[in-house]
Amino acid sequence: MTLLIPLFMFGILGLQTFLIQYTDVENAFLVVASESQKVLDNVQDELSRMPKNQDGNIEFMFDKLEKQKLEQRLSNIRTQILEEKITGLIYISDQALKNKKVEYYSKNPNNNVLLNKIKPSINKVLTDMFFVGRQLSTEELEFAKNNVDFNGFRISADKEIVEEGIGNTILSFLFTFLLYMSLLFTGQMTMTSVIEEKSNKIVEVLLSSVSSRELMTGKIIGTSITGLAQMAIWISPLIILISTTWFVLPPEFTLKLSMWHLLFFLYNYFIALITFLGLFATVGSIFDNPQDAQSGIWPIMMLIIIPFFIAIGMQTNPENQIARFTSFFPFASLIVMPARITLVDIPLAHLILSIIINIATMVLIFILAGKIYRVGILITGKKPKWSEVVKWFKYNY
Amino acid sequence: MYALEVKNLSKNFNGIRAVDHASFTVPEGSVFGLIGRNGAGKTTTIRMMMNIYVPDNGEVILRGTKIGQEFKNKVGYLPEERGLYKKMKVLDTLLFLAELKGKTGKDVEKKAYEYLKRFDIADRKNSKVEDLSKGNQQKIQFIAAVLHDPEFLIFDEPFAGLDPINTDLLKDIILEKKAEGKVIIFSTHLMDFAEKLSDHIAMIDHGKIILKGSLGEIKTQFAQRNVTLEAEGDLSFLDRAGFVEKVENFGNSFGVRVKEASQTQELLKLLVQNNVRVNKFAANEISLHEIFITLAGKDSNIVK
Repeated sequence: MTLLIPLFMFGILGLQTFLIQYTDVENAFLVVASESQKVLDNVQDELSRMPKNQDGNIEFMFDKLEKQKLEQRLSNIRTQILEEKITGLIYISDQALKNKKVEYYSKNPNNNVLLNKIKPSINKVLTDMFFVGRQLSTEELEFAKNNVDFNGFRISADKEIVEEGIGNTILSFLFTFLLYMSLLFTGQMTMTSVIEEKSNKIVEVLLSSVSSRELMTGKIIGTSITGLAQMAIWISPLIILISTTWFVLPPEFTLKLSMWHLLFFLYNYFIALITFLGLFATVGSIFDNPQDAQSGIWPIMMLIIIPFFIAIGMQTNPENQIARFTSFFPFASLIVMPARITLVDIPLAHLILSIIINIATMVLIFILAGKIYRVGILITGKKPKWSEVVKWFKYNY
Repeated sequence: MYALEVKNLSKNFNGIRAVDHASFTVPEGSVFGLIGRNGAGKTTTIRMMMNIYVPDNGEVILRGTKIGQEFKNKVGYLPEERGLYKKMKVLDTLLFLAELKGKTGKDVEKKAYEYLKRFDIADRKNSKVEDLSKGNQQKIQFIAAVLHDPEFLIFDEPFAGLDPINTDLLKDIILEKKAEGKVIIFSTHLMDFAEKLSDHIAMIDHGKIILKGSLGEIKTQFAQRNVTLEAEGDLSFLDRAGFVEKVENFGNSFGVRVKEASQTQELLKLLVQNNVRVNKFAANEISLHEIFITLAGKDSNIVK
């Protein structure tokens, strides 16, 4: 164990770095549109010199488009964007030649990985065009130093196109942290209470009134409901924020958030509580003191910590493969999905699939936890081996 | 009518047979003692009776039907390993445990207070359990077991670690509950208590029931047929008496074994009729302790 700890620590650090840096651009198809043919030509020229990347191929289509016709164009390609046949549309207006503000319309406007690849090319074009035949003033130098600024606009199933602020990114961090902290905290608390009941022997008195399954169910459901109420209170400012006009957020913090998001978050938290409390209670029932329990608790912590890293790492591109995969993976889904749904639109079918997976996991955990719990809470004395715990499944208690 | 029938209960732990086809009956209104050495299988049997352990084999019948949740509500249980929520207040603990049995309201609270008074800890009702002495914590546990006025009281080693005053208090409660017509089942390895309190017993050893029945009958059955006799005169007539099995001469005294324990009176009569001067005539009734030593001391397998 002594030797495993450092390995384990490095493993965690490595995994964390990998997950946060892991981003993949699958093949992207971008429409570059501008009012000026010259800009288009220059951009095309510049982009064609972009080194071919191993992790994804970006294809471009160039389109001369008047500012007034932009909306028309967007509504034409809406379906293709939503189906991801077109990754997004970059619109370089004439204004951009003065302020470098470029608009980006996409289902996933926060995809910094993709944008960071094209930014230098567009920046170079805009800078070059700006400086042709000019003397440099301070202001002009300042402009030259500025990188191109992409304003993200989210294309969603709604008709409206909303400028994307960092509000949802903050919210997604917030949701992930709240989930992570409260699951760990409530879980530890439940585990301690099971260990206490076991070690101070009151459990036998309780079992003379209720069955072990009732005891476990009551404990988990009770704690989960308390946890849910607590979480509802914590996120109540958000409810007030979106349902009233009492507070006005600066535009860069604008939230794209509906009551359904919050309800989903609360529902998801409840399922997560029941699932993880089942695991924590089981570990509590196996050991009769908190020191021993630490050795049993780390696998469960991993089930929370790894998805937490994924959810945090996903902020740069919520559509990366790990994020997509883990939002359907038992346990991880409970932490990744709420963060993802805050950042991008998830198709209803995917959402329902993840809900089904999560509920199935919860039921399974409940059944297995019950089997270990009924045996564990009556066994005190030496610390059981894992092989013994496996045998408990078959016990006829 | 039996209040409780235990039929063929068996339980294995990791291949070790803790209880082996145990069967016994607990009559209505009786005080029933489950006696045996440490590790004989008493607690496992009681836990199976309480439906805390599911038996591998066999069943427990409550007045004709298999026990279930209904039984749990009728039982007051004092486990061998005592424990309470340390941070909870005394009165809250009692009310909580009563509520688990389905009893709530002012009556329970009043009753809890009465019991606390009786056990001389009424002034501690708002103290935390952890602030109480161990003896006082045990009192709380007794009260918790009887507070909801159960029909059955099951005490696992109730006298373990008790001082004489608490022991007497507990004995009083057991007898009081018996007078109310409740069924009391307790396990103990202390034969004295079993003998004084119980009217029916089952003796368990190595997971097997080696003796069971009413205490009176058992004692009669095991009553010593040996009489120690110190007498002056000719005792040869004893060899001819039909009910005498054996006469041994130890020099100063004689050991006479009669065929049935009840025939010791006839022996005395015969001695007087034959003008023997009797200096000492000892036909002691056997104690449960001796029966226990006799049976459990040997290698089991002696069933009635």
